Amino acid sequence: MKYLQYQWKSRLFYVLAISILVSVMLVSLEWTSWAEQINSQGYTHGEGEGKMPSILMYILPFVKELILIGVPMLITVALAKLIGRFKKRK
Amino acid sequence: MSDWKQNLQKTRYVMDALLLVSFMIVSAPQATGVPLHEWLSLLFIVPFAIHLLLHWDWITHSFKRLFSKISAKERFNTVWNYLLYLMMLLATVSGFLVSVALLPTLQIDINIQDFWSKVHHDSATLIMPMIGIHLALHWNWIVQLTKRMVSKKA
Repeated sequence: MKYLQYQWKSRLFYVLAISILVSVMLVSLEWTSWAEQINSQGYTHGEGEGKMPSILMYILPFVKELILIGVPMLITVALAKLIGRFKKRK
Repeated sequence: MSDWKQNLQKTRYVMDALLLVSFMIVSAPQATGVPLHEWLSLLFIVPFAIHLLLHWDWITHSFKRLFSKISAKERFNTVWNYLLYLMMLLATVSGFLVSVALLPTLQIDINIQDFWSKVHHDSATLIMPMIGIHLALHWNWIVQLTKRMVSKKA
């Protein structure tokens, strides 16, 4: 872990300070007209949950994640390889 | 594989694998239940911070390099990483602002707005394909390191 421990206190301070600063800026989104519009319209999700067999409740969320991460990943890898081959031919 | 702590690339590989697994667990509130999802999300800050610390050199040089002559792939990768960081912060911040277990346990009362519920749901969903593309942009490194980790000689 020597790479992680090297100057970790100062580096972590910078990471946290910048993250907190950006987070505070993100919180200010709640004063935008976009937020006002969504708050006035209302928002709900996940009403259909709880009706599926219990075992699927533990499996389906991970299947969804694998698809949402895996499909764009494979498409991008394939596209990058295609672009690479196209550049080599040139 | 036992020497992974002595090698920067292998340390990154192990920590990144842990980050991905912890992200997948944290991103499944339907499976873990919302209270555990919120507490695990708080813990998730640790592997996320480790990921940033292990890529410190890239972080400090990337912004300058963005304005120099670099390949389109590197430019896209840099902008994508910044966007992913912003999206991760947005999902985390909005998660805290819709907390129904963590903040009440800490005696912090908040008025949950529909806006933050929608932002949290949408950003958490959008992060997944963004991570997929992030992984794809480092595909060669992942394949190379996987081979080195599995191989007994390396």
